[in-house]
Amino acid sequence: MKTLIEASHLSLNYGRKAALQDLSFTIPAGRVVGLLGHNGAGKTTLMKTLVGLKRAEGELRVLGLDPHADRAQLLTSLCYIPDVAVLPRWAKVSELIRLMTGLQPAFSADRARQLLKRTSVTENDKVKHLSKGMVTQLHLALIAAIDAKLMILDEPTLGLDVMSRKSFYEMLIDEWCDGERSVLISTHQVEEVETLLSDVLMLDEGKLVLNISLAEMDERFVALSHDPDAAELVAANHPLLRYRVQGRPAALFDGVPPDAVAHLGQRVRPSLVDLFMALTRKPERQATEA
Amino acid sequence: MHSWNDQAPIYQQLADRLATQLLDGDPPEGEALPSVRTLASQYLINPLTVSRALQALVDEGLVESRRGLGMYVRDGARIRLLHTERQQFLQEEWPRLREKLRRLGLKPQDLNWEDA
Repeated sequence: MKTLIEASHLSLNYGRKAALQDLSFTIPAGRVVGLLGHNGAGKTTLMKTLVGLKRAEGELRVLGLDPHADRAQLLTSLCYIPDVAVLPRWAKVSELIRLMTGLQPAFSADRARQLLKRTSVTENDKVKHLSKGMVTQLHLALIAAIDAKLMILDEPTLGLDVMSRKSFYEMLIDEWCDGERSVLISTHQVEEVETLLSDVLMLDEGKLVLNISLAEMDERFVALSHDPDAAELVAANHPLLRYRVQGRPAALFDGVPPDAVAHLGQRVRPSLVDLFMALTRKPERQATEA
Repeated sequence: MHSWNDQAPIYQQLADRLATQLLDGDPPEGEALPSVRTLASQYLINPLTVSRALQALVDEGLVESRRGLGMYVRDGARIRLLHTERQQFLQEEWPRLREKLRRLGLKPQDLNWEDA
């Protein structure tokens, strides 16, 4: 199976508020997909929909299953860390491994022990004695020991210090990304995850504003760093965003900028953070800052 | 985390780093490059991005893919690389450097050509 998630025209309302608006996308095998968006953009709602905890209108297939109708089967064939995930504080690591063995048929205790060797967590540790970073590593080790094709992580590194985040991403890249398995990961640390990602889904107020691979992103968006003198001319050619790169003014264009502007500046790499700023800022805020 | 600049796409920056290492003979001609997964882990970069970087080196004729074995440094890669690096220096870096030397009023005899 090459396509792991196939979503078309997903919509979901909370009362009168549209939480998801007509989302269509696919996630193939072997990808690391970043789900980016401000708080309240719909990231958690989308993830819950994908694992069958919420029901949206539209067509949705996850690992070939209907997440709502086949939820029990789906939950045994993917790995999911929700944003509110906690491990029981009283439990010992060895007990969690035993618990997982009983709950999850695709879980391998040996694999979990092997993954834990990367960390400083031992089987005799109790969860309540571990630091937040260690608990997150333990959690990742437990779910990465499930033989599955898809992992869904809702802000897994929230509240972790930089070293813990780095160890987390290292384990993810080393132990999960084998070219066949995919992971969908939501985060606010856009800058940090940029190099880890193969694809980006960007949500703004329930709408999918960007659905692109990093390779395509390099081709499609052009950033120009230019002299302050050229600012007016650049602005007149409708850039998505104006910002600064190393103190110099820069402008981000969707597509190749007009010739009149292209020669005024030097092409630089548009970063994911710049794109995020450009595509998810609220119009009224853009107007007041301009 | 590794630092990447805003000047070029990540895959291009990784390809440049690997090329610089090849120029220093690491790895030497005829030897294998680290695997995609090893490089992905070492630089904390997505494996698909690493593959793009390696493909760029293939396109420049520096490495070749051997089926089932991975990427190998091609014979003559160092010479080819040295040639392109020299061209690039003369066309892009030297004019800027010369400009700076002129601004500072430095003459060839002011420059120390031997190692300190």
